[in-house]
Formats: sequence, C-alpha cells, structure tokens
Amino acid sequence: MAKWGMVFDLRRCIGCNACAVACKQENTLPNGMFFTKTLSEEVGVFPNVTRIYIPTICNHCEDAPCERVCPTGATYTRADGIVLVDHDLCIGCGTCVVACPYDQRTRIESEMLEQGLFNNGELTPFEKQGNVRFTAGTVQKCTFCHERVDAGLDPACVATCPTEARIFGDLDDANSKVRRLIQEHRGRQPLPEKNTNPRVFYID
Amino acid sequence: MDLSTQPVQNSMKPGKWVNSTCKMCLHSCVTRIHITDDGVVNKVEGHPTAPSNNGRLCPKGNAAILRHYDPTRFKTPLRRTNPEKGPGVDPKWEPISWNEALDIVGRELKRTMDEDRRKLLPAINDFQKLFLWAWPAAYGNANYFSSVGNFCGGGYHPMNGFVHSAFAAANDVNYCNYWINNGGGDGFSSHLHTAAQANHVAKARVERNMRVVVIEPRLSIGGAKANEWVPIRPATDRQFALGLCHVLVYEKLYDVKFLKKDTNAPYLVGPDGYFVRNAEGKIYVWDAGDGQAKLWDDPSIKDFALEGTYQVEGKECKPSFQKFKDILRDCTPEQMSEITTVPAENIRRIAREFAKAAQIGSFIEIEGRLLPLRPAGYNFYRGAQGHKYSAMTNQSFKLVNFLIGAIDTPGGHVGATLDDQMQEIRGGCGMINAGENGMMKTAPHQLHPEVPFSYPPNETHLMGYFPIGVDPGHLTQMTLENPEKFGLNYKPDTMLMCHSNPVWNLSGKREKWFEMMRGMRFIVAIDILPNESNEWADIILPAHDLLESWNLTMIEPPHHEGMCLRQPATEPLYDTKSEEEIFNEISERLGILEIWNTIQNFVNGFHQKPELLLDPKTKYGDKEIAERKGKLWNGQDLNWYIEHGHAVTPRKPEKWYRPWEGMRLHFYIEDILRARDDLKKKMEDANVAIRHEWEWYDYQPLPTPKLDPVHEEPQEFDMYAITFKDIQINFGESIGNPWINDIVFKDPVHTTVLLNTATAKAKGLANGDIVRIESPYGSIVARVSASQGVHPETVCVSNALSRIATQNSAVRLGGGNFNELLPANLKNTDACSGQPETVAKVKLTKLTVMPAEFMASNSAYAHGRGH
Repeated sequence: MAKWGMVFDLRRCIGCNACAVACKQENTLPNGMFFTKTLSEEVGVFPNVTRIYIPTICNHCEDAPCERVCPTGATYTRADGIVLVDHDLCIGCGTCVVACPYDQRTRIESEMLEQGLFNNGELTPFEKQGNVRFTAGTVQKCTFCHERVDAGLDPACVATCPTEARIFGDLDDANSKVRRLIQEHRGRQPLPEKNTNPRVFYID
Repeated sequence: MDLSTQPVQNSMKPGKWVNSTCKMCLHSCVTRIHITDDGVVNKVEGHPTAPSNNGRLCPKGNAAILRHYDPTRFKTPLRRTNPEKGPGVDPKWEPISWNEALDIVGRELKRTMDEDRRKLLPAINDFQKLFLWAWPAAYGNANYFSSVGNFCGGGYHPMNGFVHSAFAAANDVNYCNYWINNGGGDGFSSHLHTAAQANHVAKARVERNMRVVVIEPRLSIGGAKANEWVPIRPATDRQFALGLCHVLVYEKLYDVKFLKKDTNAPYLVGPDGYFVRNAEGKIYVWDAGDGQAKLWDDPSIKDFALEGTYQVEGKECKPSFQKFKDILRDCTPEQMSEITTVPAENIRRIAREFAKAAQIGSFIEIEGRLLPLRPAGYNFYRGAQGHKYSAMTNQSFKLVNFLIGAIDTPGGHVGATLDDQMQEIRGGCGMINAGENGMMKTAPHQLHPEVPFSYPPNETHLMGYFPIGVDPGHLTQMTLENPEKFGLNYKPDTMLMCHSNPVWNLSGKREKWFEMMRGMRFIVAIDILPNESNEWADIILPAHDLLESWNLTMIEPPHHEGMCLRQPATEPLYDTKSEEEIFNEISERLGILEIWNTIQNFVNGFHQKPELLLDPKTKYGDKEIAERKGKLWNGQDLNWYIEHGHAVTPRKPEKWYRPWEGMRLHFYIEDILRARDDLKKKMEDANVAIRHEWEWYDYQPLPTPKLDPVHEEPQEFDMYAITFKDIQINFGESIGNPWINDIVFKDPVHTTVLLNTATAKAKGLANGDIVRIESPYGSIVARVSASQGVHPETVCVSNALSRIATQNSAVRLGGGNFNELLPANLKNTDACSGQPETVAKVKLTKLTVMPAEFMASNSAYAHGRGH
C-alpha cells in the first residue's frame, strides 16, 4: 500500500495560485475558501531583497492532531495516509479547526453555499452540481483529491501547476520522485516542532 | 440518483471529456473539458498530450468555467433604451431578436457607409480570430480605435519584423543558460503562453541551472525567482542595454564572425545615413585584407572591415558597426549608471557574464545541421519597450543579442510567429523573404498591411503616417480635439467594437474619451460581458464564449507550432452567435459579403490551397472556417482535430533556428530612414501642416542614448508611476471572475500601490494611507503599501486597480484608470513605431480620506489588506 505525500519545490513555485483555482474548480469551493493556496513574503532590504512563494495545503499528517481531537471519529486516516472527514459523523464542533497547527480546516456555513460564487444568492449550474458534496455545518479540508488518486491521477493542483512545483507520490517507494527529491534536497516538513509528521515536504 | 454513491470531485463524475483550447488570454494553451451527463461544464484542465503547455494551465485558464456561467453575460441581443450615456450609467437594455438587432446594425452602418466610410471607428481585438481584424478593410476603412502599445509592444512587433521577420521573440529555453528578462514576464508571469513558458523556464532554471537576471523597477515574479534582480529607474532600459553594448564592443566580447557573415554590420554607411551604393544600387563594404572597397558579394573579399573610416564613391563612410561603436563611446557604464541608477560595476559584470555564457565560437548539431550555439539571450517586453523612443529601445535590446551572435540560434534570442498560416497579412507570417543586397527582407508590419498615406488623413489615429508602426489608437484623442490642425475633414460618429475595451486601454483623459463616446451617433458592440466600453453601445450582439464555439488557432507559441482546436463543450447557454456568423450577417446587410469572403481567403491563407477557398456568396460559420484552417495546416479534417485536440509539436528546427540562412540580418536598419524620408516627402508634397512638429528624430537606424521626454517633465513630479500585470490578470479582463478575484484581492501587490519602504518613510506615508497620484496629464487615487521590492523613485500600480465603474458590479474598481496619467500626444508617441509612453512622472499627495467616488461597495479599496 502506497503512502501518499507531496513535495513543494520552492525553487519552481511562482506563486501564481493556479493550484488554488484548479482546486476551486475541482471541488466547487465557495468564495473565500481554499484547500490550498500560495503565500508570499518579501525577504530582505532594498536592493538585496526577494520574495518567496510558499504553497500550503493540508499536510495529511501521520500523527494528525485534527484526528486526535475529533470527538466523533469523523476525521480518519486511510490506509494510504490520506486524512479525510466523514461528513456524516462530523458535528461541526470545530475542535479540529483549532487543533490544526497549519490553519487548513474550514467550517462550511450554509450562507457560504447559498450566497453563490457571484454573490447574488443564486447558484450557477456548476455550483448546483458541485455543492451536493457539502453538508453545511461540517468541517472541510483538502482531500489530496482522493478520488482522482484512487483513479491513478494526480491531485488537481499537482496536475495544473505550470512550473511542476508540486510533486505527488508514494513516500514508501524508495524510487519514487517524491522520495528522491526529499532525500537529495533534504526535504523539510512544516512546523516540525509540532510533532505531527506531515506527509508534505518542502525543498529548495 | 443516489448522491451518496456519486463521486464528489468534479472531474470524477460521470460525463465526457472533450478536447479544446483556452482563450482566457489571447494565447492558445490546449485543454480538455469535462461535461457531466447532465450537460454541466465542471472542469477544465490542460491537455496532457500538448507539448507546449504540458497539461498545465495558469490560474486564468483554470477560471474559464466562471466566465461561461457568469450571470452578467449578455444573453440576447440588446437595445439601449436609456438615451443618456455615461460611465457607469445603466443603458437599460431591452432584449430584441437577432433579426431586429442585425437589421438595426446593418441600417446604421449602411448609413455611415453611404455618408463617408471613414466615419466608422472599429475596435476589433479578438486575437484568436485574427482574421476579424481585417473586416474594416471590407467596409473600406482603416481606422483603429484601440491600443496595441499599451498591451504589448508598439515598437516591439515592428522590431521583431525588422530583425527576425517575426511577430514576437523569445529566448530559446531549450539551450539558454543566461536569461536576461527586461520589463517582461516571459517564463514567469505574462506574455507568450504563460503556463507553457513558466513550465519550460522552470525546468531550465532548476534542472539546468539556467541563470536568470531580471531588470525591472519592481520585484516582479520573475525578479523574485531570478538569480539577480536589477532594480532600474523606469524608462531607462535602453540606456542599460546600451551600457551592456558598450562593454561588449569596447572589451571586444562580440561575435566577429557572425557580424561579418550574417549581418549588415560591415556595410558602409555614408554621411546621409544610407548605405553607400554603386550606380546599380549594390552596397559597398571595406575589404580590410586588400585595403579597398568592394561590393558586398565580391567573392575576392578577404576580410570584411567592421571598423574604420573610408572614402568610397567620393563619400566618407564607415561600416555600420563603426557607426554603432561611435554612438557607444558616450554610453560607458558610468554614464549609463547615472541615468539608470544601476551601478556601473553591475552593468560591466552582467555584460561580461552574458558574453561568457554565450560561448562565442561554439557549435551544436541539431538534426544534421551544424548551428552556432549561443546559450545567452536578452529578452524584453511591454515594460521595457513602452517608451517614447520605442523603436530605438527595442533595437538596443536586439543589438545586445546581435553582438554575441545570439539571433535565431540555439540558446539565443529567437523570432516567434503569430500564426504561420497567415502568410500575407504581414508580408509573410513565419515566412522569410530575401530582400536587396543579400539582406533578409524586413517585415515590420505584423498585424495588417501598410495603410497608405493620405492627406487630409483618412484615419483619425493618423495610421497613414506610421508606415512601419503599429496602430497608435490613442492619437484619436489628439486629432479629434483639434481636427483643423491635422486636416481631419470628417468626424467619426459610428463605432463597432468586438471583444475590445478601448475606454479602458487607451492613454489620455477619460473625460475626453467619454465626450467622444457621447458624440457617437451609433455604437454596436460584440461581446460577452459588460465592460467600460460596451456600456456605451446602442446595440449589443452577444457572442458565444470559449466553451460554446469553434476555432483553430496557434497564437505566438514560441517553442511549438501547430493548430489548436476550440470546440463547443456545450450548446450555447444563451441566444448568442459566433463572431463569424455575426460578421457574415452584418456584411450581407451592407452588401460586402463577397469582399469579406475574399479578404478572409487572403488573411487566413486559404489561397494557398485553392480547394479551401471560400465561395464569395456563401456565409461560412465558425465550424467551417475552423475546418479549413485545420486542413491548411496538416491536411486533416475536423474529425481528426476533434479526436486529437491539436496538432502541436515542438517547433521544427529549420523554422526556429536561422530560417534566413544565407541572408544577412539588419544590424543597421536603413529601412527606418527610408520610411522617414518617404513620409517626409509625402508630407511636403501634400503640404501637411503638422510636418514641422512631426517627431523626426524618432527614426534612427541605430539607437542613441537620448532621454525619453518623460524624464523632462517639471521637477515637482518627482516620482515615476508604472503599471504591471501578473499571471492572474495577464492579458485582458479577468477581474470580476470570482476565482480570480479570490486570489488577486488577497494579495497586497494587487490591493495597494507599492512604494519603496524608504521612500514612503521619507514622504511620511504609512501602509494604508490614501494618496492622490498626479501626473501633468491626469490623476488617480490609491491606498499605498511600502515594499522593499520597489525602485526608490517608483510607484507601482497593479492593472487590477485600473477598472472603473461599469454594469458588471463583480468587477472591483480602482481609484481611477492608470492610463489617465499618460499623455495622448505626438511628443510622447514614437513616430517611428506608434508606441505611446507608458510611464508617467507623478507627484504624491496624502489625502485624509478616500474620496467618496472611489468608495463604492465593489471598490478594491473596500476589500483586501495592507502589508
């Protein structure tokens, strides 16, 4: 069984947020909600200055605090390492939203869905076919596009990334691209002090 | 349907995929589109088999679905019922039938045609159906009411035509090791097939360690990813390039063999600037081996002299290389440093690094052809070249590439065509023709054939006076303000717009544009969404969007070629038509269908295969035109394209590398002088009054370091204002699309104007402060943020902050339109290329509050955050 993980190559990321929009398309996310996005930060003082672009996503942690704190067992980890939320079990208590050190969880409210992408209280056919996935009052987050992954595809954000800054693969396979990149470039996990053991690694 | 058993992810739902091509910018990234069994378009992805975009899409391409389902789309033909017209004024549209709408348009355009065909102002800007640009020719009109230079390059395209006989140019990512980007986003944020170029450039950077040096006033995405960001004072890019040229020439770091064999650098130039010719018109060179003048093709020439002063045919003359060297004497890095603020030692170092990376003397074998390998290129675009002396500026960048022998060679700076099949529209799109005296024929006209000189002028933007330029649409403001001065003996009163937003994109005063729009007797707009310009229309003819229509196109793919299919993913959502149908119907009502079909044959290149020719009397729809374009490319019918989606392959090396082999390139552009003198004579003969104030200096065969007039504005305007676009808002209107809004308006780069931190402090400005930004020509208002990534003399205004009130309330408003800061006059327009100045000198005044007029609920300043 594969253990899925992702590598972000900071040398490649141009901060364009094609990932964020592809994710919104794939998952019909309401306005203001992201399963992934790219942050940017200026570093240095003129003229010795640059800007770094940092993609962020649910890290599908091996020791996921969101799962630990979930009172109903709604948050669970699949055998392949993907952390998901069972919306039938989720009571929307929001404990996991607080517990996630990476700010990757959002409680979806009915207004977010009813307002519509065009903010006019009406839903486009695109939203009508997509919003059925959401239960208002439950917590949502990146699923690593588990349905695409189960079909042998890359997650939507990975597939669209213009610079191939996102690499998805099997962390247990010593010959996978993600493993080789992590080893060759000393991949770093986000906030290691949180002891969550993320399945997402950054290289530069 | 039991929803619990259905997939939740859009691309995994039951449905079908169809092949298509993106049109969220003008370029043609290949896509595949998912449609559910219920007929809903629910996912657009890059096509995995297309080698150009490699299955990738930029954020705009990913947002196409929300243009399709945008509730503000024009859903039926519309007629204005509100006689009052103005910015943000509701036209009170009334739906009408297609027949009624087309009859009205036909009647009104016919009336204009009968009165004076020149009175129509067309603004046709669909780049994926370029043949539509030629429709006004069928009407008998060469007006053009839109900008080119404000988008891309007034000087850029003609210069690519002079140097490469091509529309655009790119550094060759296949082999380049040292990539200079000056004021352009290629490979990072904008321009040619953004997702594709970003893909290839990232691979070159990361996998081959290609060095990137970015020269810009603002730390753009490219600047942030570069090995070196070189902040530069705006509008001094030419002086930077000339500084590099000085080092390359005076330190003898140039490719002697290339200049002698493949260019006109050895051709002797006489005192009048023209080459020295014998009685038969053949050009002389100096043979340094024999110490005498010879004709350029004399087989006995031992060594073409590049330097020196000689006497030939009784004239003192110099090789054109020597002429350039003379100019460069006053372009030392120290002198150029004073103008550009780039330290002299950096100019010197970059020139040396660039020359070293070029590996002058090296070769590479590609498909059996031995080619010079020059893995270094100087790339540039809108920001760097958008200045008064644009032709000179573009040429200075080209000359950096000339000196190291990097023109059209592996690893270097290579010409890219607009569309290989449009052979005639530009004197050979993708075609190389031999010119006189061993030189390649120049092809400065890349968008339409030369517009003939006329006086009184037939065109409100004086296109007949720009024999080698791109349409300076902004000059219409100048001529209409003072028609007697320009001899303009008619007043345009009719407008036809097609996917165009001139009221947004033109330089000059908005109020004057509004006044002109108010004076129009009749305006028709073919469009999809409301914008600043089409809300002035009397009739709206709604077009299909990119998910509902047919097309085949290959727009400026730098490293690839081949037609890309657009096909309907769904039936049209609304009562819309294709542009082809609309123009057919209008043409038929005007009695010009036969001429229009003849022009389409010519522009699309159908005359190259007689079996594809359109019958003059038949109306051809978008599908039929698309099928012909496909057959012209590779002989395949539409079914083949439907199955494969595209015919994209890597660019054939014989087209990409030195397609002019055996001809000499124009290091020195004598044609520019010839164009000047022809125009001068025509103006003299016709007694054109404004010839005395025409900007004759602008026509130079080699660039000089003369300062652009923007630097000479009164001293109180102590800052430079620039505008910029990033990948989310690259080419065209994206603001208003909810997904684009969601990523753009979270970013301080696009929600505030950027000032250097030290400058902000010195001016007493803090993050979030409101300022009026005032140029000698107009003003805008903005909220400021301090940034370390800005040249200290610069105010950077995102293009996301330039929208003004329209009927589309999803479009967030800025504090006025940046183009308001720019003059629409001759003094700040390149007479050679038509390019307007795009940088403004400004002063900043702190305001206590945001003026109420900019505080609408959809204002960009009502959202977002500061740093």
